Amino acid sequence: MSTQHRRALGVAASIAVAWLALAGPSAYAQSAQPSSADQVVLRVGVSADLTTDNVFAVSAGSDYTVATTEYDMLQKFSVADATAAPSLATGCDHSADYTTWTCTLRDGLLWSDGTPLTSEDVAFSYRFVIDNKIPQYKSYFPGNPVFTTPNPTTFVWTADEPTFAPTMPPWVYIVPEHVWSQYDGQSLKDIRAVSGMNPVVSGPFMLTNWTHGQGFTMVRNPSFWGPAPTVDQVDYRVYTNQEAMIQALKNGEIDIADGLTPSLINSVANTPNVTVQKVVSDWWLNLAFNFGGQNADAHPLPALHDLTVRKAIEMAIDKNAIVSKVYEGAATAGDTIVRPASAYWHLDIPADQELPYDPAAANKLLEDAGYRDTNDDGVREDPATGDALELQMPASSDTTGAVDAGQLIVGFLKEIGIKVDLLPATDTKMNDYWGSGNFDAYIWYWSGDPDPNYQLFVFTSEQCGSWSDGCWKDPHFDQLYEQQRSMMDQTQRQKIVLEAQQYEYGQVPGVVLAYPNWLEAYRNDRFTGWIPSPGPQGYLLATYNYDTLLAVKPVAGASTSGSTSVPGWIWLVAGVAIAGVIVLVVRHGRRTELDEA
Amino acid sequence: MGSRRYLLSKVLQAVVTLWFVLTFNFVLFHTLPGDPVATLARSEKLAPEDIERLQHELGLDRPLPLQYLIYLRETLTGNLGRSLSTTEEVKDMIGVRVLPTVLLVGLGTLIATYFGILIGIHGGWNRGSRFDTSSQYSSLILYSMPEGWLGMLLLLVFSGWLHWFPAGGYTSAELTGVARFVDVLDHLFLPLLTLTLGYIGGYAIVMRAAMIDTTHEDFVKTARSKGVPERLIRKRHVVPNAFLPAFTLIFLSFGYVLGGAIVIESVYSWPGLGRLTYDAINTLDYPVIQAVFLIASAAVILANFAADLTYGYLDPRIKNA
Repeated sequence: MSTQHRRALGVAASIAVAWLALAGPSAYAQSAQPSSADQVVLRVGVSADLTTDNVFAVSAGSDYTVATTEYDMLQKFSVADATAAPSLATGCDHSADYTTWTCTLRDGLLWSDGTPLTSEDVAFSYRFVIDNKIPQYKSYFPGNPVFTTPNPTTFVWTADEPTFAPTMPPWVYIVPEHVWSQYDGQSLKDIRAVSGMNPVVSGPFMLTNWTHGQGFTMVRNPSFWGPAPTVDQVDYRVYTNQEAMIQALKNGEIDIADGLTPSLINSVANTPNVTVQKVVSDWWLNLAFNFGGQNADAHPLPALHDLTVRKAIEMAIDKNAIVSKVYEGAATAGDTIVRPASAYWHLDIPADQELPYDPAAANKLLEDAGYRDTNDDGVREDPATGDALELQMPASSDTTGAVDAGQLIVGFLKEIGIKVDLLPATDTKMNDYWGSGNFDAYIWYWSGDPDPNYQLFVFTSEQCGSWSDGCWKDPHFDQLYEQQRSMMDQTQRQKIVLEAQQYEYGQVPGVVLAYPNWLEAYRNDRFTGWIPSPGPQGYLLATYNYDTLLAVKPVAGASTSGSTSVPGWIWLVAGVAIAGVIVLVVRHGRRTELDEA
Repeated sequence: MGSRRYLLSKVLQAVVTLWFVLTFNFVLFHTLPGDPVATLARSEKLAPEDIERLQHELGLDRPLPLQYLIYLRETLTGNLGRSLSTTEEVKDMIGVRVLPTVLLVGLGTLIATYFGILIGIHGGWNRGSRFDTSSQYSSLILYSMPEGWLGMLLLLVFSGWLHWFPAGGYTSAELTGVARFVDVLDHLFLPLLTLTLGYIGGYAIVMRAAMIDTTHEDFVKTARSKGVPERLIRKRHVVPNAFLPAFTLIFLSFGYVLGGAIVIESVYSWPGLGRLTYDAINTLDYPVIQAVFLIASAAVILANFAADLTYGYLDPRIKNA
């Protein structure tokens, strides 16, 4: 071994020793502390990075987390059931005909830069959404509303038809006019491109740091109008590997892990000091039938127009098997198109109205309707056309559990003589199927607002070619949708919404397969006071509102048990051992050279 | 062929290859099925009219040849555009990932190269020795071991079981100065170890084989017959000649650095360019995909160019051929 090599090895050994001595114990001990001496820091592990800090371009999960924490809505989603609750406005009153709503804002509201937050900001935010046709929010303003501001704390919403829109409440963040007015009237592309740190916010925390792929940090807004949170700072760290996120939770590197996959939840369920929250999430796994009509090339299986076939398929699918095998129990079997998280609006289908899992009954339905296997190939034929009951069924590979559920469904439907060609596809490809109508059925997801209006709307006839999955057109359902839309009395509206769900379920334009849980796990020896929302099975982190961040606080005398810091001597020994090995190699090389010489 | 003509021909080759890569990048990603704006449809509630509006504003409804010309003009003037999904400047998105990528893949390649070559030289020269046998088996095992599996194994042992290192990420929090440096080193250790172990075997195997081949060359036999000491034969005759094939491999490996290491970055949540590429492909984020492919390709082309030039210098037979 040459002198240069020996020298280089010496340098490498020194670096290795320095690395181990410096990096090991000191940094890790620091990262295991729940908070620094004078600051309370909540550390959150997330599986998805922020994609934008612009409230008019929000898309993925972490975007809404930040937007909801930074910006208030006029009224927020309540902790109990996600219905309207006081926020910037303490309440809204309606005129007798429900065309005018008057909302009263709190006194003394301030933006984080010290500028007063007034009803002008509210009116500006709503007009900005309408005038610039911001896609995420524009559907919240039916009846061509006009907004007026008689004084800084009074906001008036006047529509040309009766509306309950202000109390849905509209999921639109109130932004500062003095910041955003410069972008008013620009192209959607340019509005979406607005980005920048040091935001001017009204909520309890503001984004101060975001490094792509690494995570983001939010610090307390001193001008926040509500009770001051105990937490000073929230650090969100991105984990692209869920197993690593679980290890980080166990090690105490993070205090809460958000968005765990069901298959890993069992590995933390029995860990000391870790509590798992199975959230009734806001999305569901959906099998949609295609009825055609998107364009001239859409030719789905004609037999799907027969309610008997659709009912037989619903009854042949074992939803509990999907829950247990695909989601490992972290889900509930699906029924209606209004998610259970909206507890006030969701209908639990009564037992006597259910289409239960019963393959024998499903077979009988098809048999009685004349769908028989005439050529003995295991697949039934349509008596009207003679075509085999064979479904081309794409399934979204980007949706958790969709392809796995599809594989189970292939087996379920085989039992009733229906052949399924499962076509796993990325969401990009799923969009192509959706737009072209070139499929018989597909498995994808739906997620909706807390208010059911939007979710019912996407199933109406007029949405064929737009939001509708498979162009299901049913005049009675359309009528129910319109009835609930024009019903101002909430109790009466609830009845119509429940009836619409019952009707849709009975007509089987698709099968709601499962409501998967959103999984969170937290260290109960670090922080306490989490407020799940909506309801006890709600999200622990800011999703629909930020109440949980106001309430969460360190556990008194939080133990650092489970700390991962390593005594310095281990590092010293490891460093010396490595250096020793390298010295031995060097000596061995020198001896060999001497021998050879 | 003179030195100047050799240099010119290599420059021309590099420029033509770069243009080909630019064009291929554009054609490949624009002929993939799917519409990048439509992928936002469900998550951002984009109705068909919103999709058309955004496609128009982003220029995606223009004829492909026109889009190609605009792409060439913008790229050559250093404008990499904005991400379609995050709306951030692509150069900013890439900028924050360069340092983590160079730290992990650059440093890993450097360490793996150095030790891999040393092991190869030692093993090849002492063929059949205990060191050779054990290093050969180790190299083969490491070379054939999937990086993701090795990464998970190291993660579970050193983070999950021994709690010696953090489970992933680049830093623990907002730190500055020495504390940040130390924290980054702490997070870097396991991914770097994984990458080094994954790469080291390949270099050792190539170098060992080259050493054995060269040992049987006539000029080595001549040197021996002249009584040249063994250490000098190894140092002056065998290693320099055996190093030539490994040399190209090393240059190319450094060219691949900016491509990132997708699997290791994913296992350790390391924010490198590999992960950015993977995410961009998933969302059909044309500007990001084109930029990262261009940078990765340009790096390989440059590395190859540098290898060609240095090769000509190291081995005059090439330059004068």
